[in-house]
Amino acid sequence: MSAELIKVTINGQDFQVAKGARLIDVCREKGFSIPSFCYYADLALQASCRMCLVRIEKIPKLQTSCTITCTDGMIVTTESDEIEKAQRAMVEFLLANHPLDCPVCDRGGECELQEMAFDWGNLEERFTEAKNAAPEKYLSPIVANDPQRCILCKRCTRVCDEWMGEDAIEAGGRGAHTVIGTYGGWLNCSQCGNCIEVCPTGTLLDATYRHQARPWELEQTVSTCSFCSDGCEMSLGSRAGVLMRSVARDRYVNGHNGEFLCIKGRFGHPFVNHEERLRTPMIRYRKGGKLIPATWDEALAFTAKRLEEIANEHGASSIAVVGSPRITNEANYALYKFATEVVGTENYAATDAFSLVPFFDNLGGALATHKDIRHARTILLIGGEPEELQPLTGRQIRQAVRNGGAKLIIVNSREIRLRERAAQFVHVRPGAEDAAVLALADPAQHALAARKMGVEAAELETLRQTLNETEGDVVVMFGGELSQAAQAILAQLPYAFSTEARRVLLHPLPLYNNSVGCHDIGLMRGGRNAGQILDAAGAQVRALYAAGSFLPEHLSSRGDALSKLDFLVVQELFETETTRHADVVLPAASFAETDGTFTNNGGLVQRVRQSIPPVHQSRPDWMITAQLARALEADFGFQMSASNVFRELAAKVSAYEGLRYPLLKDETKPVQVKHPVAERKDLLKEAEGLRLGVEGMSEEAEKWTGTPPVGHELFKPGTLTGKVPQFHLLAAGNPEPPSVLISPLYQITIDASLRQEA
Amino acid sequence: MSQQFTPNNPLPQEAKVPEEMAVFSPEVEAEIDGHLAKYPVRRSAILPLMFIVQRERGGYLDPPGVAYLADRLGVRITDIWEVATFYSMINTEPVGRYHIQICKTLSCKIMGEPEITGHVCGRLGISPGETTPDGRFTVSLVECLGSCGTAPMFQIGFDYHENLTTAKVDEILDALP
Amino acid sequence: MRIEAIGCEPLLLARFKSENSHTLEVARTYGAYDALKKVLDSMTPEQVIEEVKKSALRGRGGAGFPTGTKWSFVPKDSPKEKYVVCNADESEPGTFKDRYLMERDPHMLIEGMLIAAYALGSKVTYIYTRGEYRYLIDIMDRAIEEARAAGFVGKNILGSDFSCEVYTHTGAGAYICGEETALLNSLEGLRGHPRMKPPFPAVAGLYQSPTVVNNVETLSAVPVVITMGGEAYKALGTEKSGGTKLWSVSGHVNLPGVYELPMGYDDMEKFIMEDCGGIRGGKKLKAVIPGGSSVYIMPAEDIIGKDVRLDYEGLVVGGSMVGSGGFIVLDETVDVFESTKNLIEFYKHESCGWCTPCREGTDWLVKIFKRIAKGEGRPEDAQLILDLCDNIEGKSFCPLGDAAAWPIQSAIKKFPEDFKRHLAPLAAQAEEASVAAD
Ligand SMILES: Cc1cc2nc3c(=O)[nH]c(=O)nc-3n(C[C@H](O)[C@H](O)[C@H](O)COP(=O)(O)O)c2cc1C
Ligand code: SF4
Ligand code: FES
Repeated sequence: MSAELIKVTINGQDFQVAKGARLIDVCREKGFSIPSFCYYADLALQASCRMCLVRIEKIPKLQTSCTITCTDGMIVTTESDEIEKAQRAMVEFLLANHPLDCPVCDRGGECELQEMAFDWGNLEERFTEAKNAAPEKYLSPIVANDPQRCILCKRCTRVCDEWMGEDAIEAGGRGAHTVIGTYGGWLNCSQCGNCIEVCPTGTLLDATYRHQARPWELEQTVSTCSFCSDGCEMSLGSRAGVLMRSVARDRYVNGHNGEFLCIKGRFGHPFVNHEERLRTPMIRYRKGGKLIPATWDEALAFTAKRLEEIANEHGASSIAVVGSPRITNEANYALYKFATEVVGTENYAATDAFSLVPFFDNLGGALATHKDIRHARTILLIGGEPEELQPLTGRQIRQAVRNGGAKLIIVNSREIRLRERAAQFVHVRPGAEDAAVLALADPAQHALAARKMGVEAAELETLRQTLNETEGDVVVMFGGELSQAAQAILAQLPYAFSTEARRVLLHPLPLYNNSVGCHDIGLMRGGRNAGQILDAAGAQVRALYAAGSFLPEHLSSRGDALSKLDFLVVQELFETETTRHADVVLPAASFAETDGTFTNNGGLVQRVRQSIPPVHQSRPDWMITAQLARALEADFGFQMSASNVFRELAAKVSAYEGLRYPLLKDETKPVQVKHPVAERKDLLKEAEGLRLGVEGMSEEAEKWTGTPPVGHELFKPGTLTGKVPQFHLLAAGNPEPPSVLISPLYQITIDASLRQEA
Repeated sequence: MSQQFTPNNPLPQEAKVPEEMAVFSPEVEAEIDGHLAKYPVRRSAILPLMFIVQRERGGYLDPPGVAYLADRLGVRITDIWEVATFYSMINTEPVGRYHIQICKTLSCKIMGEPEITGHVCGRLGISPGETTPDGRFTVSLVECLGSCGTAPMFQIGFDYHENLTTAKVDEILDALP
Repeated sequence: MRIEAIGCEPLLLARFKSENSHTLEVARTYGAYDALKKVLDSMTPEQVIEEVKKSALRGRGGAGFPTGTKWSFVPKDSPKEKYVVCNADESEPGTFKDRYLMERDPHMLIEGMLIAAYALGSKVTYIYTRGEYRYLIDIMDRAIEEARAAGFVGKNILGSDFSCEVYTHTGAGAYICGEETALLNSLEGLRGHPRMKPPFPAVAGLYQSPTVVNNVETLSAVPVVITMGGEAYKALGTEKSGGTKLWSVSGHVNLPGVYELPMGYDDMEKFIMEDCGGIRGGKKLKAVIPGGSSVYIMPAEDIIGKDVRLDYEGLVVGGSMVGSGGFIVLDETVDVFESTKNLIEFYKHESCGWCTPCREGTDWLVKIFKRIAKGEGRPEDAQLILDLCDNIEGKSFCPLGDAAAWPIQSAIKKFPEDFKRHLAPLAAQAEEASVAAD
C-alpha cells in the first residue's frame, strides 16, 4: 500500500487516508462502527453477508464497504435510515432460520450474531414460519457441528484453505440448503480447530470443551502456548482452579498469531489438570527402593544433603545440572545460576534435540518474526516440516505464498505437504540438506552439492537466481537436519545475499516452546551437552539435577545411563522414564500455573501467565531451584517473584538487556530480543569443513518418496498430549464412528486398542 | 472453494477416500481424455466428467466414482462433493433407470403441467421426488427446461418430450424398453 | 410452435426454412462463413470492433449492454490468453430462442464466435450450454467437426494465420450459471457462485484472463452485422438498439413460438393479439411478463391501446424490461398470486446461497407464499412481502436477488385483488357472500 494520502469524506467529516486503503477498515479506524460477518482481515474477500453496506455518492446501489478501496474525493455515508434498515434487514434474514435458543448454545455469550442482534435491539420477530432444521453432530473428535446455526460467512472454509492449505471443509449444497461439511461428513484434517475459532456463531464448536462451561464463568488469562517454538499467544479460560480451554479469540487475545492455534495449542491443554499429575515430592531413600511421598522440606533437605556429599566426595563438576527447552526463561536462568554459582560445575546442559549455539554464534542478521514471514517475497526452507512441527510458521508460509505472492523454495529429503505451495522443490537424498548450504556459501561447489543431493546443478542455479532476483525480504528457515557446521554457515548467509533492496532474515525451526530462550540463558554452553552428560554418568558425572525429562532420543541409545548415577533429582509434571530412575522427584507447576516468559523462534520474548494455582503441591520450576539453593545456604534473592528472576536475567543476558515484565505486558506489541550479531566471516574458509563433510556423503542413498501423512507429528500422543483422549483417536487414524450424532470418544471406551501410547 | 488452480502433484486427501476406485473401459477413458484436452486446467472438466461417471455408474456418483474423479482431476475428495451438490443434474443418490423430469415453471404450469404430473404419478404410483420400488422410474418436478413454447413437457434422461397430453404420455411410457 | 420473422426480413432465422439447416452443406448455400472470410481477408480486429459498435448491437442475454463497447474493454496488449465464451445457459423462464438458434443454425453461432475471437485476439473459445440441452451440445459438436473439416475451425483458418478452437462445455442444472461470472466459475470447475466485480471479465475473467461472455443470439447476429455492415444493421432497429431481436412467446397465445422482430417494433398489443394469434379460446388477456420471468409483470390495461414499443427503451416506458425477450402471456384464468408463487419458488430453488438477502429472503418468501396458499394468509402479509422484497432488492451480491423481487413487487402493485383474496380469505368470502346476497 503506497504512503500517498487521499481525501475521503465520511458522514460529512473529511479524512486523509492512505491510497488504496479498504473502506471498511478506514471507517472503523475513524470510529464509525460497521457491522460485518464475512469480512476477515487477510482472508480472501467474500462480500456475502452484506452487513457492511454503505452509501457512496454517485453510485446508485448501496456498496459493501469490505470490497471498496478508497479513491480520492470519495464521499461516504455509513449512518442513515436507509443503511440502518439494510443492516437490520440482514440481521433479520440471518436470524430467520437461526435457532433462537442461545441459552443452550455453547457460543452463547461470545456469539457475534447474538451480539449483533442485541446491538440492534427491539427486533420484533416477523419470521413466523417453520425453521429449516438439521441435527447436531460431530465432524471429528475435535469439531462439533450444529448446522442450523450457520450464517455462511465461510470464514471456516477460508481459514481452512488459506491458513491451513487443507481445503478440508467446504460449502456443499445450494441456496438455503447450503451446508458446511466434507465428503462423507467426516473431517480428516490436521484438526487445528481454527474453523471453530473464527466461527462467529455456534455452528462449529470445540467438542473437547462442549457443555462444560459458559464463557462468562471463565477467567481469561493471556499466556503463551507451551508446545512448539512458534509461541502462539492464547487466552487460557479457567474456572475454580481448573483450566477449561485455551483459545485465541480476538476478543480475549491479539498476539502475533491472530486467532490461529494448532491442535496442540488449542486442544492439548487437558494435561494440566490431569489425574496423573505428580502430587507431592517423593524420595527414594535407597536404590531399588520405592519412591515415597514426602514433604517439600524433607525432599529439599534430602536433596541438598546428597548433593553436598557427592560434591565433597567427587568434586563440584561431578554434579550435572540439566535444564529444558520446555520451561520458562526464569526456570532455566535459576538452573544456570544454580549450576554456576551454587554448585560451581561446568556440566550444565539442556535437553533439546539440537543446539542453537553454532547458529547464534555466527548470526549474520536479524531473526524473522512470523509477521516478517507473512510479508516475505522469497522463503527458503531447508529441511524441517513446519506444518507438523511449527504450525504457525507453516501457516505464515502458506499465506505469504497464497495471499502475498511470495516464492517458496523447499530443500527437503521428504516430499512434505508444503511442496504443493512451492515455486521450487529440491528433493534431496536423506541427510543431504547440508550440501544445499554448501552450495549457497560457495557457488563453485554447485556441482559437488548437486551430485550428493541427487539433483541437477541447474536446480541450484535456479535457487541462487531466485534469491538474487528477490526485492524485499528473503527468509531462510532450517530444521534439525542441518549439521551444526551447516547451521553456522547458514547463519552467515545474510552477509552473502543482502543488498540495499534485499533483507535476508533467518528463522530457525527448533522443536520446543523455549528452545531459543534456553539457548539465550546459556544452558547450551556447558562443558558437556545432554547426551555427553549421560555418557559420563557413573564416571565423571555422579549426580544429576534435571528440570524436565530427557528426550527418548537421548535415552534410547544409552540403555541404563540413568541408573549408573549415584543421585538423580528430577522436577516433572508426570511420571516419565527419567523419574522412574530418580532418587528425588519434585512436582513442578505447568505453564498454566506459573509466571514467566518463553522466547520463540522469531526471537519474541512473550509472557507466560499464571491462569490457575499450582495443582496439588506442585511449585514453579524456578522457585524449586531457588529453594534448593536456599537449602544449600545460597539466597537467590528472588523473593518468590518471577519478575525479580526476569529482572536479574535481563541484567545478565545481553540480548534481554533492559527488559522488564511491564514492557512485555501488551501482546499486541511483541518484543524481539536483541541477539548479538556476529561479524562477517570468510565463508569460503568457513565452508571448508562443511565441504569435507559433504564430500563424504553417499551418492547411492535412495531418496525417500511419498508425502508424510497429515498429523504424523501433530497427533503423536506425547507425555502431555497423550493425556488427551482425542489425540489417541487421531493417532489411531481418526476412525469414523458408526454414528456422528454422539461423541466419537465413546469408541475408545469400547475399543481399548484405540489408545496409541507414544 | 479454492480459486487457486489445481497443482499437478496429487493432494493429500483431507476426507476419507473410498477404498475402491471405479475403472472404465478404454473407450470411456478416451472420451474422458477428450474432455480433459479442452482445458488448460484439469479441474475445468469436472462437470463433463461427472456426467460420464454418472452415466457409467448407474445414474449417480457412487463412492468409487467420486474417488475416480478426485484422482483423475487431481482435486480433493471434498472438492468433488462441493461441486456435485451444487448442480441439480448431478446425483449423489441413486435414481431410477428412467428419470422423468417434469417442468413445473410458469409457462408449463399454466399450460397443463399439473394434469401431466398427476397422470404420470398416478400411473407409476409414486409422488414427485420418489422412485418406483423396481427402481425403473424416478419422477421429479424441475424448473424451466426451455420448452415454454411447447409446454407442457418433460425430459426423460436427456430426451425432450413436448406438447404433452395424457395420451401422449402413455405412448411414451409404454414405448420405453 | 411458430418460428417467424415479422416486420423484417428473417436475419437470424434466415436459414430455418430449409430442411437440415443445421448442416454445413445447407448453411453454406446461405453464405455461412462468408462473413468470416470477409473479416479474415479484409478487416483488422479494430475494424471488426468498430463495425459492431456502429451496428448498435446490444447484448441479448438480458443486460442489453452494447456489444462493441464490451469488446473494446478487452486490453489489446495483455500478454495473457484471451477467451471468448458463449453463454448458452438459457435458463430464464419463458426463454427458448437460443435453443432454436443452436438447433437449426449452429454454424451461424460458430461463425459469430470465430469473428469475435479474431476481433479480440482469442485462440480458444467455449460454448457453455446448460446441461439439460445435451442434444444441442451434440449438434454443436457435430457442427464444429464439420467446420473443422472444412477448414473454418482450428489451425490457420482459411489459410490465414488466424487459428482458433471452439469447444463445447456443459452446465449441470443451475440457473445462476447464466450470470456471466458464475458461468466462469462453473467453467473453471468450481461452484457456480458469481464473482465480485470489478475486476470485470473483460479484464480478469476465465482463468483470470481477459474474457468476453456473450449470449448465443448476440454472437449469432455478428456475422449478419459483418455481412450487411454496421450502419445497415443498425438502420433496421432504432438509434440506441440496432437490428432485429428474437422473442420467445409462451403461455396462453394461439401461436406460441420464436419471433424475429426489428428493434422498436410497434406495437406490443398487435404482436400478441395478431402476430401471435391472440389469446387461446377467445379468453381475455390478463397480463404479460415480457422479459423472461425476471421483469415487472404488465397488466393488460398497460398494453391494450398503449402501443408499447418493443425495444429496450420502449418496454421501460411501458413499465417493464426487455430482459431476455421471453413473453409469458397470461389469460384471465390465471391467478396472479399463484403465478407469482410459482416464480418465487423458481428463484428460491436457483438462489446460489452466496449472499444473505437472496438466500434467506427467497427461502422466507416461499414459506410465506406456501402458508398463504394453505389459506393461512394474513392481511399484513402483503406489507411484509413488499418489505422483504425491498430488503433484497439492491442489496444482493448479484442481480438474481433483484430478479426475484421485481416480479413480486409488480404483481402485488398491479394485481392487489388477486392477493387480497388470499391474504384475507375470510373477509373475501364474506364479501362474496354479501355480493351474492343482493
Ligand atoms: C441471474 C442471471 C441469469 C442470467 N442468465 C443468462 C442466460 O441464461 N443466458 C445469457 O445469455 N445471459 C444470462 N444472463 C446475463 C449474463 O450475465 C450476461 O450479461 C450475458 O451473458 C452477456 O452477454 P450479452 O452481452 O451478449 O447479453 C444472466 C444474468 C443473471 C444476473
Ligand atoms: S503452533 Fe505451536 S505455539 Fe502455536 S498453538 Fe500450535 S503448538 Fe502452540
Ligand atoms: S463484510 Fe462486507 S459483505 Fe460481509
